[in-house]
Amino acid sequence: MDHNVYVPRLAKIVEIKEEVGGARAIKTFRTAFVNGADFQHRCGQCAMLSVFGRGESMISISSSPLVRDYLQFSVLKTGRVTTALHDMEVGDLIGVRGPYGNGFPLDDWKGKNIVFIGGGIGLAPIWSVLQTTLLRRSEYGDLRLIYGARTSKDLVFKRELYELKTQLPVELSIDVAEPEWTEFVGFVPTNVLEKKPSPANAIAVTCGPPIMIKFVIKNLKDIGFADDQIYTTVENKMKCGIGKCGRCNIGFHFVCKDGPVYSWAELKRLPQEY
Amino acid sequence: MDKILTKKALAQWGQKLAPRRVYVPRRSEDGRWNYAEASPDDELTLDVGQTAIPPKKLLFPQKEVFVEFGESIDGDKKTLEVKEVLPADESVVIFGVRPCEGRAAWLLDKVFGGEFTDPYYWTRRNQTTLVGLACDPPPSENCFCTSVEGLPHSEDGLDILLTDLGDRYFVRALTEKGKGLLAAAGNLFRDPKPADKKKVKAVHEASAGKLKRHLKDARAISDKLKGLFDSPLWDDESMSCIRCGVCTYLCPSCHCFDINDEVDSVSPLQGKRVRTWDTCQFPDFTMHSSGHNPRPDKASRLRQRLYHKFRYFVDVYDKFQCVGCGRCISLCPVGIDIINVLDKVGSHGS
Repeated sequence: MDHNVYVPRLAKIVEIKEEVGGARAIKTFRTAFVNGADFQHRCGQCAMLSVFGRGESMISISSSPLVRDYLQFSVLKTGRVTTALHDMEVGDLIGVRGPYGNGFPLDDWKGKNIVFIGGGIGLAPIWSVLQTTLLRRSEYGDLRLIYGARTSKDLVFKRELYELKTQLPVELSIDVAEPEWTEFVGFVPTNVLEKKPSPANAIAVTCGPPIMIKFVIKNLKDIGFADDQIYTTVENKMKCGIGKCGRCNIGFHFVCKDGPVYSWAELKRLPQEY
Repeated sequence: MDKILTKKALAQWGQKLAPRRVYVPRRSEDGRWNYAEASPDDELTLDVGQTAIPPKKLLFPQKEVFVEFGESIDGDKKTLEVKEVLPADESVVIFGVRPCEGRAAWLLDKVFGGEFTDPYYWTRRNQTTLVGLACDPPPSENCFCTSVEGLPHSEDGLDILLTDLGDRYFVRALTEKGKGLLAAAGNLFRDPKPADKKKVKAVHEASAGKLKRHLKDARAISDKLKGLFDSPLWDDESMSCIRCGVCTYLCPSCHCFDINDEVDSVSPLQGKRVRTWDTCQFPDFTMHSSGHNPRPDKASRLRQRLYHKFRYFVDVYDKFQCVGCGRCISLCPVGIDIINVLDKVGSHGS
């Protein structure tokens, strides 16, 4: 019989990095399966993480599928499971099942320019695609990242972002001015209008808080991006991850199985209930 | 395979099925009918009213254990074991399953099958034989199976269909599992005579006419729902809802569930992961940990229940996810009536 879809495989936390402190803390975890696993994900897919005794939580995989040594998850501390995850240490065991969802259609984007637009923890699902396109640099056109957070302290992957600047344009923003800050001050959608990425032969990938996504899409359309050039990810409460428990649906789509990645052309046709 | 069984021999058949566990509708203390395990001397009376809880509870129990997890600590060394807990290996026979309940199992097969197979559901489903009883008369005043592409003698999802011919049952084995059940007591059955076959046909034809409730053109209603997502109808119709969840918990085809961990010991950690029924009618069903809720009010939750059954399920499987048993009508404490609500959808704008 096939592996039981509901039974997680054990994975060891091999590295923990504190990205953001305070009340809305974010930590990045790297995990390695204890007994190996046939786990081959696509960019944009998620995994159901278990903290045994606390429950499960669906988290997007932020490492590239081309990296085989570990899986990486960046987790915002919000509920019961993510709080328990934040209390864990290197060497602790968690459960992982998946991967789940459709993922980004990266093969269709070959030869295209890609502009990544992220806000806050929304950089996590983008990170997997960004790393993959960088590792396969010759297959894609120009890459560009527009990313922002509420304050400079809320930016995730800070060190990596500054390294990334040597490889592609990285345009950062924070919502409110800070003394040392030399880059854009304002919301991410405003920075998109300011930087005006060209829609010619381009794909825009945007992840972040729902309100940010809404205005990023509006502004991208104003710049000239068509609905099928804009991709985003949706999140909803999930339990099973395989389209059976019934709570993450948007219309007839289960976000866990049929999403979380949607082009705006697809998403606008579904009921606006997410 | 068609056979005849006298009513008097039904109990003998039940006895011959040991060691299979036999379930049958029985009267509970509260006066309601409920599928319960038959005693060895049970008479297996089948022509009774509709049970409050459908037989779904035997294929998809209200609570079941998925895995057990346990930690062992040896000095500084901690190990964690996660053990799959599948349903016990046993054979189950359910007598008196109504054709709509068989159809509900047939719909649940689709939900729990597909790309990701649910091993808990399928273990139970494969080891359970459903012996249906054609309805005549309808077991509830709110039955409306014929409005949702069902019939009082539908065979979908069943292994055997019994039709009551007065002093005897017409027994139709529909699957290998069903034939196996007949083979367990072969000498109790005789071959049907032409008169038996004629009578079965007459009973089946007459029974549909005895239904009291009807939906006018469910396919047209399904189409109409496309344009009514933002209608004020949902506010009006859900006003009286007290979000008890009865309409979904007691629905034979509703399948929504929750998964949670139960802790027996904190250190060393011992516990289990369990699945329990859940419902789209509870506010926290869809609530994000951020506090955001895509379905924040009763209107959006009633709309979800009806759209799931009459719109989304049709989009994916081209079937209604409602079998017309009428439980959500009969058992709703505030009188929300799915037929009345859908009729309003159907007549909207006309």
